[in-house]
Amino acid sequence: MVKFLKPNKAVIVLQGRYAGRKAVIVKSFDEGTRDRPYGHCLVAGIKKYPSKVIRKDSAKKTAKKSRVKCFVKLVNYQHLMPTRYTLDVDLKDAVAVDALQTKDKKVAACKATKERFEERFKTGKNRWFFTKLRF
Amino acid sequence: MVSGKKTKKTHESINNRLALVMKSGKFTLGYKTVLKSLRTSKGKLIIISNNCPPLRKSEIEYYAMLCKVGVHHYNGNNNDLGTACGKYFRVSCLSIIEPGDSDIIKSLPGDH
Repeated sequence: MVKFLKPNKAVIVLQGRYAGRKAVIVKSFDEGTRDRPYGHCLVAGIKKYPSKVIRKDSAKKTAKKSRVKCFVKLVNYQHLMPTRYTLDVDLKDAVAVDALQTKDKKVAACKATKERFEERFKTGKNRWFFTKLRF
Repeated sequence: MVSGKKTKKTHESINNRLALVMKSGKFTLGYKTVLKSLRTSKGKLIIISNNCPPLRKSEIEYYAMLCKVGVHHYNGNNNDLGTACGKYFRVSCLSIIEPGDSDIIKSLPGDH
């Protein structure tokens, strides 16, 4: 009886082009909206996971391997698998619903989340979130 | 110990309580609506039959864990659970939203 589809929850996208990718809920719309009369949420996820960084990599290689490619999407709750993990990265100012209206706003939102994700990856926290789900 | 006998008595009482919920309370039957009720945190108790596919069973249990809602593994298959609900079809999982006059929610999660 506890709501768990809240912002900062880590979820796995189940359907669509990004199936199998991990994402973070940025904003949830439990009641739906006019255009989407079902429960859905705005997620920011990882399109391309960062590769494995090993100790003997040079700084240039590490930088290249730690790159994260992101996506921003509105997803129906039915197409998400919630997990017990959370990722508290502050994405509310980076990603807003109107970011999905035009292409350049979307690109700007993805760039902003990319920076946040990359800096979080480099600290070594939330390691589960940045590892690819094997299936 | 006595726990070996999942006695006829407690089984009957679960059936009785379920019948009371069907009569007086709110519930949903079926996997899709069970997940919906868990997502909107309306479900108060989930009952799963014993021949529910294990992947589906663990998925429902995971959602219930996130939701902190009790799950009861019914001692019977989906045919029996459907009959216990008074329906003429099979029911593999059901979610109780309002127990009505029944005390099923208070009495069950103890034994889980």
